[in-house]
Amino acid sequence: MALKALDIYKILPKKNCKECGDPTCLTFAMKLAAGKADVDLCPYLDENAKSVLGATTRPPIRLLTIGVGERSFAVGEEFVLYRHDKTFYHQPGIFLRVLDTRRHDEIAAITARVRDETFTRVGTGLRFNGVAVMNASGSAEAFAKAVETVEKTADLPLILIADKTETLAAALVHCGTYRPVIHAADRANFREMCALARQHGCLLVVRAPDLGELANLAKDCAAEGVQDLLLDPAPESLNDFIVRSTTARQLAITRTLPDLGYPIYLDAAKGSLQDGFLALGIVKYGSAIVCDPLTPEAAKASLTLRQNIYTDPQKPIQMNPGIYRIGSPGKDAPVLLTVNFSLTFFTLEGYLESSRIPCLMFIIDTEGLSVLTAVASGKFSETLVRDSIKKFGLENEVSHRKIIIPGYAAPLSGRIEEVSGWKVIVGPRDAADIGEFLHEEWKQ
Amino acid sequence: MMEVSANFDWTANIRKVVIGATKNEGGTRTSSFRIGGGTTLPFLEKTPQPPLIAFELCDTPQYWSPIIRNFCGDVVNSPAEWAKKAGSSYGADLIRLYLTSTRQRNFSDFGGIKKTVESLLSSTGLPLIIEGSNEPKIDSEVFLKCGEAGQGEKLLLGTAEAGRYRSIAAAALAYNHSLIAQSPIDINLAKQLNILLRETGVPPDHIVIDPYTGTLGYGFEYSYSAMERIRFSALKGDLDLAMPMICSAIDSLSVKEVRDAEPAAQDALAVQWEFYTGIAASVAGAEIVCVRHPQSIMKLKEAFRSLAQINTAGGE
Repeated sequence: MALKALDIYKILPKKNCKECGDPTCLTFAMKLAAGKADVDLCPYLDENAKSVLGATTRPPIRLLTIGVGERSFAVGEEFVLYRHDKTFYHQPGIFLRVLDTRRHDEIAAITARVRDETFTRVGTGLRFNGVAVMNASGSAEAFAKAVETVEKTADLPLILIADKTETLAAALVHCGTYRPVIHAADRANFREMCALARQHGCLLVVRAPDLGELANLAKDCAAEGVQDLLLDPAPESLNDFIVRSTTARQLAITRTLPDLGYPIYLDAAKGSLQDGFLALGIVKYGSAIVCDPLTPEAAKASLTLRQNIYTDPQKPIQMNPGIYRIGSPGKDAPVLLTVNFSLTFFTLEGYLESSRIPCLMFIIDTEGLSVLTAVASGKFSETLVRDSIKKFGLENEVSHRKIIIPGYAAPLSGRIEEVSGWKVIVGPRDAADIGEFLHEEWKQ
Repeated sequence: MMEVSANFDWTANIRKVVIGATKNEGGTRTSSFRIGGGTTLPFLEKTPQPPLIAFELCDTPQYWSPIIRNFCGDVVNSPAEWAKKAGSSYGADLIRLYLTSTRQRNFSDFGGIKKTVESLLSSTGLPLIIEGSNEPKIDSEVFLKCGEAGQGEKLLLGTAEAGRYRSIAAAALAYNHSLIAQSPIDINLAKQLNILLRETGVPPDHIVIDPYTGTLGYGFEYSYSAMERIRFSALKGDLDLAMPMICSAIDSLSVKEVRDAEPAAQDALAVQWEFYTGIAASVAGAEIVCVRHPQSIMKLKEAFRSLAQINTAGGE
């Protein structure tokens, strides 16, 4: 279990030397208890005290940086099982897998795809994160060649997958200084793997289907001096993954089994189940996910799911209030008022676009609340509508004085007319009906 | 070897709801389902069956996505034939019929609705979910006709909302059906509606929660957490939330990504959108996942089988 600040304080030297950067040992103890400081900052602790403190004061899941340079990214340092408890901080990296049996131009093409492909949604560019090179040929030479090809094509985070340490060693000649991830250490080879990881500064994946064994292996690797670890729970089925990944996460964040406090690695390249594994890895605590090159459709869906799950659930995504144009609206185009909750906005926008009627969307600032909640809480009020009309100069945009409001805002229609002077038309409650509504009701 | 498993201290279970009735159970369905019954997070325990997949169809295809009309062909013009095909060829577990005909202006053909429901009951042996009208004025008549047509078949009727639940509750009570209670992505509103239904006399084991599913990229981030919170509260003992959930991301086929795709890629994109939404929803607690693209069914089915595989936590 986690130590409380006072328990930690008892172990500290109580010199108040300020060498850790904190004014007193007590404030340092409080930071350690919150997982916000590292025991190594204190120069006066002996090894024994450090090991006692280290296990309980570091973040429950170790923070790792994969790769170097512009495309490097962080994983781990997560604190919760449910995103609604706080948020998930570090989204999983998706690695496209190349086999060293493929032709070099094919390997280069997949690497270039990871380097270049961007899918833009809600103003954010979504991308894959790296390349995983797998030794399918059995030859160390072919593996090294494939890694060299990837390296020459792009500077991307890498995972090297091979059974033999000699094979990995041959490839590390080409990329050893770029903090690649090597896969995988097991009970039989972990000492050699640790030596290799130490020599090249690699991150190391430890692999075992049994969580108890996985924890022991992680502990043994840490004892060998390799602490930048990822855990591969070696799932055969989606059920294996959800059970093992959820269990590992729960035991890590509660510090019940601190040796499971490392990011999770998932091999999702499992034929027709790949999309299922990838989706599950995204929602259930994966940190590095390897899959075969995705179809454009699976790429869009999976990257969108990742964006959704790693959106902070405490912040409603808001649109900037103001006027948005659909098509090329003229001065006589209808004006549709709605709230700045992004879900409402995008849903309405979608249906308006498919109606093919040019129009203006007039977005008022309800602080990201939906129509229903904004009306109920009084954030959506007649004065807000009046002030927004002035502020954004709606009078100059259209020649008429009619405004369509959401069906759920119908109770406000009279008051809006009174204070704004605009005629209010109550639209449908469901955005899906807006096309039909406009075709039938919007007559000049 | 040490025993490694997660500890949650749950105190309650999800209620079971029965959908469909076989001959032995007083109906004519070839299968019936008991959903719910979970005692922990989804898939962390032995699950008697994978999540169910409902194929959604309607009785007036002009209201349906052109992607589906093109893919399914002429069969969309006969809801009975379409439902039959959904079971025999697409592989669905359930049929969800939307009575879109009731959306026409001044709709009054209530006898026609009854005939449509009866035609599905004879064309397919799968249990049915029936979606009634969108118009409060005709709710009462529509739901009574649906309820009556499906007497003894343990239908799942949809959809009750906070502002309008009396007609559907009356029909469910009169003919012993269950109903879908939908609230807009909010655990408190979901609870409130269930309390209203309880006070109306609807037994809690006749309610399936629809937390409203915004599709991938369009609100799914909210729906996912709303579902997780509902499941969490239920397991912690909130009896007014201890119902199984249904998820239907009906906007999947009309999102910009799918709409703007090249015609050749539209089917694949629609399927991926439904698949990724559906599998994530099942992990958050949905026990019925609804889809509209036939190809989504087998893809989800394969994943659900792997997800529900009998297994125990980590470390034996």
